[in-house]
Amino acid sequence: MASSEVARYLNVGDRRIALDPEGYLVELSDWTPAVAEALAAEEGRELGEEHWEVIEVIRDFYARYQASPAMRPLVKAVGLALGPEKGHSLHLMRLFPDSPAKVTARLAGLPKPANCL
Amino acid sequence: MSSHALATGDLLVILRHAPHGSSWLREGLDAALVAAAFGQSVTLLFQSDGVLALARGQQAGPLGQKSTAPTLDMLTMYDIESLFFVEDALASFGLTQQDLQLPASGIPVTAIPELLAGHKQILTF
Amino acid sequence: MILHILNRPPSSSLVYREALAAMSDTDRLLLVEDGVLGALTSQVRHFQQVEGRLFALREDLHARGLEGQCDASVQVVDVDGFVTLTEEANKTVSWF
Repeated sequence: MASSEVARYLNVGDRRIALDPEGYLVELSDWTPAVAEALAAEEGRELGEEHWEVIEVIRDFYARYQASPAMRPLVKAVGLALGPEKGHSLHLMRLFPDSPAKVTARLAGLPKPANCL
Repeated sequence: MSSHALATGDLLVILRHAPHGSSWLREGLDAALVAAAFGQSVTLLFQSDGVLALARGQQAGPLGQKSTAPTLDMLTMYDIESLFFVEDALASFGLTQQDLQLPASGIPVTAIPELLAGHKQILTF
Repeated sequence: MILHILNRPPSSSLVYREALAAMSDTDRLLLVEDGVLGALTSQVRHFQQVEGRLFALREDLHARGLEGQCDASVQVVDVDGFVTLTEEANKTVSWF
């Protein structure tokens, strides 16, 4: 679930974006691609075309199901949207090392996945 | 589906409560999703008032409770596709299979014990 | 064999019917908490179909002063007996 507690702010252009203690957006409607870039930069990540297409998949998932996916459904959603060659956990691990479901949800401006490792 | 070919699996979640009136239904669906996220094979059984969770056309509640409908749609993304309801329970509300949001299999009351026997663990909500 | 555990009385809750519907011919039913009201001679008719496989928790009967009203067909077990029933079952299901 999205936390309503503001832990800190992220400066994106002239906007101040509120983040919760785990770095997720407090207001999901604050999200823009520039916010994703800033969140990624904080973690030393650079977003290329393959990252963006996964961010789009997870945002579509949230719009449809009103929940952030755990790893398995994220892999499945990516496979359905982008083709079986990308619907593998290895592909997502390579793009978003550490914990792809959590990292992708954060960059996409979504709540932390509830049912996640 | 023959009554001798009912589902087997790691976990059977029995949902006995209608949407919105309590958090039981949501908690049951959450338990199913967590188990599936960890790779368990999960079956859902909608029993008594729980069959109403399958009804088409559900919306958010007047007190802001989230609708069950998106969560039901999401089950397939967690590979939870083994869904059963008790035929008599659905009929007791004047509903038929055409009124359901998802493809689920109707079973007679007498088939419930077999469904329980076919699963390693059972949770009721 | 599955051990079914019921904590609501048949006098005010219909969940006992769901429990009975889910029971196979060898499953056992243990009444606990308010469920033990169903073990009284005046109520036990609701559980006719599981006669011989019906148990009630002594501590819950005792706390309610109802040990004397418990029907003779019901097997009364204490907490240790509860543990034994659980061990003898290959799984347990709670009805509430």
